[in-house]
Amino acid sequence: MTPKLRLALFLLACIVTLPAILLLALHMPAFGAHPLPYGDAIDAAAPGERHISNMVSAVNFDYRGFDTLGEEFMLLCAVTGTVVLLRGSRGEALEARPGIVKGRRILPRSDAVVLIGRLFAPLIMLFGIYVAVHAMTTPGGGFQGGVIAATSALLVFFGDGYHGWRGVMKSQVLDALEGGGAALYALCGFASMAIGAPFLTNFLPLGTLKDVWSGGLMLVENAGVACAVGGGFAMIFLEFLEETRTKKGGAKE
Amino acid sequence: MNLLPWLVAAWLLGIGLYGIVTSRNYVHLIGCLAVVQSATYVLLLAAGYRWNAIAPIFYNHPPGTPAVDPVLQALVLTDVVIGATVTALLLALALQLHKRRETLDPEDLRPLRP
Repeated sequence: MTPKLRLALFLLACIVTLPAILLLALHMPAFGAHPLPYGDAIDAAAPGERHISNMVSAVNFDYRGFDTLGEEFMLLCAVTGTVVLLRGSRGEALEARPGIVKGRRILPRSDAVVLIGRLFAPLIMLFGIYVAVHAMTTPGGGFQGGVIAATSALLVFFGDGYHGWRGVMKSQVLDALEGGGAALYALCGFASMAIGAPFLTNFLPLGTLKDVWSGGLMLVENAGVACAVGGGFAMIFLEFLEETRTKKGGAKE
Repeated sequence: MNLLPWLVAAWLLGIGLYGIVTSRNYVHLIGCLAVVQSATYVLLLAAGYRWNAIAPIFYNHPPGTPAVDPVLQALVLTDVVIGATVTALLLALALQLHKRRETLDPEDLRPLRP
């Protein structure tokens, strides 16, 4: 199929679907003023039933917890696929040299970058943990906190370069975080079954509303998600940055 | 105003698909796929929106205050995280493709060779 024919087919598809989209948009309920029955039901039930004030976490880890288990394993599969595709001859050794593009010099790091990297990496790590821990009370949770914590590892790379960064990022640790987090989530479900309740039933003490340690089993699931997301994203960074090194044996690209 | 969010979602879908159809580079194509995906964020968040309502966090507001829909917000949250990792997976495929075939242009890949 030539690009021109493909474009013509795309335009044809647009002409056919555009009236349908317009018709649909005209018949949608009024924006921002239509009933939201499911959301309102959760808003009404969760603070009393589950003792937590963040409704998004209530949906993610309790009312729709089984879906999150599926998403957890999608994440695991995507990260595993990336690792399988990229793990190979390049950059695995700590002393691997940077790949060189002809005509482009490798500039030394400036002191400002080193300072900012060293200053902000621990702070952002702390902020990520803070966001992950406060999942049940204020905006945040394992998904967001894990990603923020993983980006702090990138700041170590900017501040201290590849060698310093690789010294911190042990791929065994990241593997354990990624797989262990997903396993922890699944084990939470089986723990409920072990005491005779349905899968992922919240059987732990729920604590008090607006307390960081409220939510019962949701806290454990949230910790699992935080570990899996943080470990997974750090793993992806590691695999992609290994690609910037030369091949094993020091052969230039 | 009633039409705008739905038309923005449709526009993002259309412009992303246009990019995919005309793409001559896999990295550009993966970027276009992310644009298509962002159409779903706009659609879901617009469907769960409510005027003069708070975020569904009842920390400073008592439970019962009108809030936007937490179900759709939770959907978008997981959508964003999964989208980022799937983009990474696709970029890894593109990287391997460039190593094997020295090209990222979808047009240069025909016919498929073993």
